[in-house]
Amino acid sequence: MNAVGRVTATDDVRFAAYELDDAYDEMFTPEGVPRPHYSSLFDRLLDLSPAELEMRQQTADLSFLHQGVTFTVYSDARGTERIFPYDLLPRIITAGEWETVERGLIQRITALNLFLHDIYHKGQILADRVVPFDLVYSSKHYRREMCGLDTPHGVYVAVTGTDLIRLTDGRFAVLEDNLRVPSGASYMLANRQVMKRIFPGLFSLYGVRPLEFYGQALQNTLAALSPASPDETTIVLLSPGVYNSAYFEHTFLARQMGIPLVEGRDLAVHDNTVYMRTTAGLRRVDVIYRRIDDDFIDPLIFRKDSMLGVAGLFNAYRAGNVTLANAVGTGVADDKAVYAYVPAIIRYYLGEEPILPNIETYQCADPKERGYVLANLDKLVVKAVGESGGYGMLVGPHSTVEERETFRSLIEANPRNYIAQPTINLSRAPCFLDGRVEARHVDLRPYILYGKRVTILPGGLTRVALRRGSLVVNSSQGGGSKDTWVLNW
Amino acid sequence: MNAMLSRVADSLYWMSRYLERADHVARQLDVHLTIVTEQAVDAARRRRRRLITCLVDEKEHAAAESSDYELADLLTFDEDNPSSIVNCIAAARENARQVREQINSQMWEQINQMHLTVRSQPMQSLWNGQPHSFYHWINQEVYRFQGITDSRITRDQGWHFIQIGRYLERASETADSLNVDFRELYASGLEIDAIDQQTYLDWVGLLRGCAAYEAYSKVYAANVQPRHIVEFLLLNPNFPYSVHFGINRIQSSLQVVGEETETPKSARVYRLGGRLRAMLDYAQVDEIMESGLGSYLLNIQNQCGQIHQAIYETYIAYSIEDKLKAA
Amino acid sequence: MHYSVRHTTRFQYTAPISESVTEVRMQPRSTEYQQCSLFRLQVRPQARLFVYTDAQQNTVHHFTQPGVHQQLVIVAESEVLVYPRPLLPERLPNDAWVQIDDSNAAGAHYEMLIPSEVTAPTDRLAQLAKELNVARRGDPLSLLIELNHMLHRAIAYDAGSTRVDSPIDEALHHRRGVCQDYTHIMLALVRYYLHIPCRYVSGYLFHSRTDTSADGASHAWLDVWLPTLGWVGFDPTNDMLVGERHIEVAVGRDYTDVPPTRGIYKGNAGSELAVHVRVRMLQGAVNEDDADATDGDQTPVYRSTAQQLHARYAETLAAIQMQQQQQQ
Repeated sequence: MNAVGRVTATDDVRFAAYELDDAYDEMFTPEGVPRPHYSSLFDRLLDLSPAELEMRQQTADLSFLHQGVTFTVYSDARGTERIFPYDLLPRIITAGEWETVERGLIQRITALNLFLHDIYHKGQILADRVVPFDLVYSSKHYRREMCGLDTPHGVYVAVTGTDLIRLTDGRFAVLEDNLRVPSGASYMLANRQVMKRIFPGLFSLYGVRPLEFYGQALQNTLAALSPASPDETTIVLLSPGVYNSAYFEHTFLARQMGIPLVEGRDLAVHDNTVYMRTTAGLRRVDVIYRRIDDDFIDPLIFRKDSMLGVAGLFNAYRAGNVTLANAVGTGVADDKAVYAYVPAIIRYYLGEEPILPNIETYQCADPKERGYVLANLDKLVVKAVGESGGYGMLVGPHSTVEERETFRSLIEANPRNYIAQPTINLSRAPCFLDGRVEARHVDLRPYILYGKRVTILPGGLTRVALRRGSLVVNSSQGGGSKDTWVLNW
Repeated sequence: MNAMLSRVADSLYWMSRYLERADHVARQLDVHLTIVTEQAVDAARRRRRRLITCLVDEKEHAAAESSDYELADLLTFDEDNPSSIVNCIAAARENARQVREQINSQMWEQINQMHLTVRSQPMQSLWNGQPHSFYHWINQEVYRFQGITDSRITRDQGWHFIQIGRYLERASETADSLNVDFRELYASGLEIDAIDQQTYLDWVGLLRGCAAYEAYSKVYAANVQPRHIVEFLLLNPNFPYSVHFGINRIQSSLQVVGEETETPKSARVYRLGGRLRAMLDYAQVDEIMESGLGSYLLNIQNQCGQIHQAIYETYIAYSIEDKLKAA
Repeated sequence: MHYSVRHTTRFQYTAPISESVTEVRMQPRSTEYQQCSLFRLQVRPQARLFVYTDAQQNTVHHFTQPGVHQQLVIVAESEVLVYPRPLLPERLPNDAWVQIDDSNAAGAHYEMLIPSEVTAPTDRLAQLAKELNVARRGDPLSLLIELNHMLHRAIAYDAGSTRVDSPIDEALHHRRGVCQDYTHIMLALVRYYLHIPCRYVSGYLFHSRTDTSADGASHAWLDVWLPTLGWVGFDPTNDMLVGERHIEVAVGRDYTDVPPTRGIYKGNAGSELAVHVRVRMLQGAVNEDDADATDGDQTPVYRSTAQQLHARYAETLAAIQMQQQQQQ
């Protein structure tokens, strides 16, 4: 690794601890001067006194608390809620950079939808040996019940939250495709609301593309997938309920779309039609934006003990009388072992080269690759294939001997369940921490909506690993977030 | 047509009922602990027994009878007693939590704060040393919640379900207190002259327990007469804790809910509300006393129960088969 | 052979229930070897019937009964023509194992090759495999016939010793079981020790006096996929190959894929299940010594409390809370 560089454009003490090294820095060039699209922000930061910055941070925190932008901490018996840590400084992406990201995501989500349709119908890609059939059929998220079912317009994944990272050369690459029930859009919107309040001048000066239409766009997307005519469509958001950590997001999105927030017990199915129970009687439901896992959707078909779904829902879905978004069984395409084949999937269906690269991935199911992984546990990141949210993960360079031994036995016991990737030096962005500006690792989760056509929100949720040196950005593991500006220029 | 989720209506209704019950129990205990300090042992014990009849579950009677302290503890902090104040507040909060996005944040903060504070050590010490201050605090906090509710919430169906919950609980509680106290006190039969010091305290206790003493005194001066008490607690249309007032509020809220949900006018829930209201509109205290107050009050309590049932059958836990047929 | 089948199922609930949702797999399949010429399903309380075909080409009926009821009766009647199956060769050619492996490698019948939930290998299964010397040898067909026979002798038939979807270990422990257990154990052995795809078949048997399995109930056996022959049926319960007396209704990885009924209801009630199956021959010669087609109604009624598939909504707050937290 190179020697640690410094910011050369100023000798302001607040930038004294700002590290520059191999990792791509969002704000500064390797020479330590601000990149052109960050220079106005840089100047503004130097103008503001520490006290002024501190005050803005407090304003932001309070605003989150008042809006109720919180998540629930389970371990606390009182069920107290914490605000999702928020960093004051925006992450800025130029129009040129974004154009590539956008094309890459459209390409990827188009191919993944075709893949899902294929494996739940003819399985041509498996017959052609492009993707190994056992990888698909043994995936924990493969749903055989979906075989032969048609989804509206062939759309399986109506809402995607792809995790992107920036490589050391500045290119964006895909780390994970979150195709099941991706969360975080509410934080993206809340971050923006707050940002406009605390940096109004800077915000309008920059020419930032708006995000506020997300609620409307999500609703249009869902309505486009409805079996009923658009103006007679009833859309609901199905939440597991108040004890779920993402409940705030469910209420937030339901409010943004102006649709009812329901739980499984609010629904009933009769004669292949889904109804919700209201004080004015039963009301037909056409589209369910569901925020519960496949397994819990319908106790008749999936987990018998589920109390979160409603019996008969899957048959109503099969009959085409109600749309589930996302469709059931999409998780098979974001299985981390299947991920390695996404470039091949893109080439297979679209005949194009992938615009956004993948991260190199070792399959522990393959004896040769497994051997490499086990010999290099201290260098690699190991992930359980069916997990998300930073659970079931080993970050080799930051792990202890015991942790590595635990993973060694886990991998040996169930190799199909693990993949490994090189430890990626995520890009870093400036963060305002304890009165100073320091660099922290970030990723980016843009949101992709797929109804009649693909809509990509200009921006997304930039997640920050707030601990110095940490590469884990998940909120469950001490991550925070910041507003993401996609510029008009 | 305006619809809200049945589950949401249910939670709002129970949130409101549970808080009203916590308020009632706190006031009753406060009044009781104050009065018994002035009463003869016998009268105090009889009073305790009446309170037990009203507020304590049958199987807990033995435990409650041993002392006023035991009774108060059972009704205040006992985690196993579903109608203890801490449990009522916890249940109200749990219902509020289920519909957090429907109520405003001040309502949630208020009820959450109550729940957390009532279980805290300082409040337990306060209860040990100054029970009056403790119960007074409960009443104040409930009023604050109701104040926030009434001043902040849109008058939509949700608000009406909150009203229905509050006044059904209140009307039932008032009717119950009146019934139990009268059965015993009035049996001793007495017109004003014959009311002795002890019994006087009991009559005043009844009024205080129903938050009515000051309001009563404004109407009847200090003339504590059983007949007047009945008239006031049962039939006064303007006093918020009277049965009549409560039923009026319930009926008008039911009216709004019915219109918004386009419930057929023939629905049982209307007829029940209307019938009870009419019964109270035209009632005369003398006639009631003559034909038997006990059975009259029992009838009211039954009808409150039936209204609750009918609300459930119409709006909340209805049979989906019936609604499918109706559609 | 031409049969008529009448399959009566009665759920009696210990308390009134409502909003029940039920799926039924009772319509005999139409395949190479059999033709279902008539099927009629009646349910009480009355309900509108819906139908779909699942991924294994089984016909599934389903219906909802929103009103309060305390009994659910399902009567499925069908007429089925069963054709004689071609005679099996003495043995399969020497390269049959290779052909099986090639087919496996190509991903054919993959799901019928990997252990399902009920047929996952256990220590007791390993013990039995050792005893019966279950390993690839000779030719697959003769080996399977031998295994079918040995399994029949290794497990004693005992109606009521296990539940329909018991894991194989229960039956292996006591070496007693019913047709589902014989089938599940053989599926596990064939999948895990022989690496041949095989599937669970639910259906009916036109009983003969010498059959081991109980009359008046549904039956189960397995199909094993063999090169050049396709699916070949084995009935280890009765130590025979599947033939003209077997009526196939549904196929799956194991019982849990194809229970005759599956339901969910609301209400705090248990349920008791009574099933009666009557298979009659409509035409075609039958040797009275071989088969008994009369007095179907007097055959014993098979009873079990199959509550495991008629789960009820227990609205326990704690459990809801746990599941809510589990969601990502």
